[in-house]
Amino acid sequence: MRTRLAAVASGLAAFVIASPAFAQKQGGTLRISHRDNPPSASIHEEATISVIQPFMAVFNNLVVFDPKEKINSPDKIVPDLAESWSWNPDQTKLTFKLRSGVKWHDGKPFTAKDVKCTWDALSGKADEKSDLIRKNPRKVWYNNLKEVTVGSDTEVTFTLGRPQPSFLSMLAAGYSPVYACHAQGRDMRSKPIGTGPFKVADFKRNESIKLVRNPDYWKKGLPYLDAIDWKIVPNRSTRMLGFVAGEFDMTFDSDVTFPLLKDIKAQKADAVCEPRPSNVNQNILINPESPPFDKPEVRRALVLSIDQKPFNDILFQGNALSGAAMLPPPAGFWGMPKEMLQTLPGFASDVEKSRAEARKIMEGLGYSKDKPLKVKVSTRNIAIYRDPAVILIDQLKHVYIEAELDPIDTTVWYTKVQRKDYQLGMNLTGLGVDDPDTAFYENFYSTSDRNYTSYKNPEIDKLIDQQSAEPDREKRKKIVWEIEKKLAEDGARPVIVHNVAATCWTPQLKGVVLQHNSIYNGWRFEDMWLDR
Amino acid sequence: MGAYLTRRFLLMVLTLFGMSVLIFVMLRLVPGNVADILVDSAGIADPKEKAKIIAELGLDRPIFDQYLQWIGGLFRGDLGFAYVSERPAIEEIAPRIPISAKLAGLALFFSVILGVPLGVISAVRQNTGLDYFLRVLSLSGLSLPSFWLGLLILMASVQWFGMIPIYTNEPRSFIDEVLLLSIPAAAVGFRSSALIMRLTRSSMLEVLRQDYIRTARSKGASQTSVNYEHALRNALLPVVTIIGIEAAFLVGGLIVTETVFNIPGVARFLVEAILWRDYPIVQNLVMLIAFIVVTVNFLVDMAYMALDPRIKFAD
Amino acid sequence: MAIINHEAELARAGANVSSTGGQILFLARRYPLGAVGALIVLLFIFTAAFANFIAPMDPTTTNAKFSLAKPGSMYWLGADFMGRDMFSRIVYGARISLAVGAGATLLGGVLGVTIGLMSGYLGGWFDLATQRVMDIMQSLPLLVMALVMAASLGPSLENTIFAIAIPLVPSVARVVRSSTLSLREQPFVEAARAVGMGEVRIAVRHVLPNTLAPLIVLATAQLGSAILTEASLSFLGLGIPEPYPSWGRMLSESAAEYVRTAPWLVIFPGVAISLTVFGTNLLGDALRDILDPRQRT
Repeated sequence: MRTRLAAVASGLAAFVIASPAFAQKQGGTLRISHRDNPPSASIHEEATISVIQPFMAVFNNLVVFDPKEKINSPDKIVPDLAESWSWNPDQTKLTFKLRSGVKWHDGKPFTAKDVKCTWDALSGKADEKSDLIRKNPRKVWYNNLKEVTVGSDTEVTFTLGRPQPSFLSMLAAGYSPVYACHAQGRDMRSKPIGTGPFKVADFKRNESIKLVRNPDYWKKGLPYLDAIDWKIVPNRSTRMLGFVAGEFDMTFDSDVTFPLLKDIKAQKADAVCEPRPSNVNQNILINPESPPFDKPEVRRALVLSIDQKPFNDILFQGNALSGAAMLPPPAGFWGMPKEMLQTLPGFASDVEKSRAEARKIMEGLGYSKDKPLKVKVSTRNIAIYRDPAVILIDQLKHVYIEAELDPIDTTVWYTKVQRKDYQLGMNLTGLGVDDPDTAFYENFYSTSDRNYTSYKNPEIDKLIDQQSAEPDREKRKKIVWEIEKKLAEDGARPVIVHNVAATCWTPQLKGVVLQHNSIYNGWRFEDMWLDR
Repeated sequence: MGAYLTRRFLLMVLTLFGMSVLIFVMLRLVPGNVADILVDSAGIADPKEKAKIIAELGLDRPIFDQYLQWIGGLFRGDLGFAYVSERPAIEEIAPRIPISAKLAGLALFFSVILGVPLGVISAVRQNTGLDYFLRVLSLSGLSLPSFWLGLLILMASVQWFGMIPIYTNEPRSFIDEVLLLSIPAAAVGFRSSALIMRLTRSSMLEVLRQDYIRTARSKGASQTSVNYEHALRNALLPVVTIIGIEAAFLVGGLIVTETVFNIPGVARFLVEAILWRDYPIVQNLVMLIAFIVVTVNFLVDMAYMALDPRIKFAD
Repeated sequence: MAIINHEAELARAGANVSSTGGQILFLARRYPLGAVGALIVLLFIFTAAFANFIAPMDPTTTNAKFSLAKPGSMYWLGADFMGRDMFSRIVYGARISLAVGAGATLLGGVLGVTIGLMSGYLGGWFDLATQRVMDIMQSLPLLVMALVMAASLGPSLENTIFAIAIPLVPSVARVVRSSTLSLREQPFVEAARAVGMGEVRIAVRHVLPNTLAPLIVLATAQLGSAILTEASLSFLGLGIPEPYPSWGRMLSESAAEYVRTAPWLVIFPGVAISLTVFGTNLLGDALRDILDPRQRT
């Protein structure tokens, strides 16, 4: 009798140790609504939350932003597949010690070779036959990566061309999963394998994504959920109705706009809703090659005409954030302080005064109320792009610019932008990591593919390189702010607002930690559990 | 008769062949191809990557070759590969057909049990208040956009029942599934029921005016039995026709209704595939729809010939 | 000519046929539903024609303060998410609906009449070929055909009209062709030929007017279905793009998001579409009764 009791007790103890937080319940299926069909399941090939949010749970990174922290910060990066890491003295070699005994979903072991394969493909060094990825939207992240070398099965080293403190932050992003060397691109796009807490059971296009618990997950006892069911519901009102009616446990990330939030709270009082910045900003693309926007003073007049408040009031009920190229503090880690922001063109509190100045510039160039400048504002033909464009057109009237909306079929938007086949464009820019390297290299560096306005400024290029290599955090912030200020003064993608939107879930869903400076991180789902 | 059948059949094949050429060419006139869309989701259009994708999908080959490959495949039962999901197109299309078929069947069922009796009543009570009411009702059925009706139903059901009749992937039982599908089916069926009602009414009226009904009446058959037995039986032929044709044309109504109610059927899939420029899916779906329409037309003609001896098909 | 040749019949029925007004009054009394339909259609055309006088506000001006404003004294039918006046947008939307509806019906009609006349009149291989093309076009439901057309042309007002007009062509062509076939052998056509009238002139002067009755009936029905098709296309995101306040577009995307807080965004545009199409249908029914007695309902 006594021995049996002891056995039970030790069994219990073992259980307690195995799952540290005793309260968590195992099991259950989490049901989430998805806003559209993910273009594919391959995170490395895409640049949209539609792919990251459902599929991040299939993978692991080398390192990851601490999922328990709301703010992604370079100081809060924790091990994932790497147990530890170290820099060499001159900060150009980053060596990871990898976990052993980790298996891919197909049972094959994970080794350092997989890491090399992944980053060789991403930095364009893979041999011609490699089929791991066919698109590479974040190539610029790895411009400074010279080589990845395998030390042993559990050791891998990244060699950089020069010191780059942000490199680790990039590896910690949701956009940086480790792929399997033996995987085929086609499979990664349709039914990928990873090492993560959930396996892909089924990905039915336009219909659903079903993930099931990976019983062999290397973190013992995790995940708690048995399965995650994503249902693709393209119509937002149907998604909201579904959440209110209890068909879904959680909304899609940032799917709940402020007018809808009020509605959801009224309908479903117990819903937990958390508004947060999505690190997506609305900005204007000004084509500097299209006259009269080749004249800096016209660009300046345009920037001066903008009143951010109506954008914010209409689209976000006043909850959006005012900021320049980087997400502003406190949510943002790098953005410039408020006092500095107000000195930038387009950010002044007295809009009438700015507009008067803008009108003077326009009058000087021969435009007037009766002889306005006629332009077209191109934008993607979907609501989140079109709505701000309509407001912009309304505001441009104040400075003798008569604009017409030119809605571009969403399929040819980037192609058209890249051809510079537009005058003005309303654009949304999302940042995968709240980090100056990703923001500046992707969008403003003269050689980047995603520098949609072909903004070329050797001085800015130099400053971008300079901040990237700067080890001292405070000194680096100063350079970042200087870049932000110069970009604003040059009218390089003037930022209107930084979006804020809410995500809601049922109170039965526990362990949700939304990350406040990037919607693209923190979706591993391994710590979430259902209390029912 | 045999010659007529052969001729009709050949025409059918010719029509389908023409459709295949038409859709193939039209799709390739569309601004932007699937490669544009695939690179778009990455936020950039690296020309090298794009060229690679285009080559991979065979879009750089002469259009005639592409067409031959598609048609050749069709005869072997191979529908090609879907561009976006990179799975055989048949695997994408086939599982979505039953849902749409069920929805269409249910919608047709609704429209018949609603349309035929109301049409008969309306004809028998011609020019009474009831007739006027039913005629206005049926006209409203033809006037309400079915997606609007669907939106109103969704609004009402959340307002009053706190639930939403959207389709879940695994209905627990057959009854469950029928219940879930019946609301969208009603939204689609409303329009067809209006059509069926109007046609039933007018063909009933025509029959009621004819001589043999007068004869039956003069022979002392009761008014009711004349209305329902003689007239209805004879009026039903054109009604059967329109039901057949409606069945094929329901696809149009399904497109918007499946979108509103989020039903993962083949009609909504067609719209998505068009937006994604997924040619293999669009081509094959369009051919499927054309095939259904053409076949139904053919069958309806055959039925006419079998049922109505007055109709002769000369050549 | 067939349409106006009702005077005798009207007189027999007791109408005052000496004035057009009297005829209209009589017809209105005889076909009350048709009269209602005609009124609705007139109201629709009037609204579209004088939209800039009727609408109290600019349909594109946004106003943050009145985002999702309830219907009231300032915004009669409420305001949308962007604070734009719904009433003004619906009024201007009539213009779009009329432009697309009438444009598509007209374009489809002209093409259909031309093809039908030539096909029926010329016969032979031309007839055979066009009939096969019509077969092909009719092997897809209207909306599917319009959808594919709209997608291949890209979203714009003109393209939407075109995309809806083309699928309308076959039914017009068929109607015109069959009446042409029967008219071709009529004595008055033979007579015209005998006096040396040219074939084209015969077709236009003698054959075409006699096909007008069924054509008008068909066109009224097509006007309604063109308006509905435009609404469906715009709802699916393949129709009229945003600067134009299209009724169907108003019902899609952002409007539908606020069904709960702002039901007027869903109700009023839907009412506008339904009412307009309802009017054309009522009118179409009455016209068929008047013009085409063989098909009396």
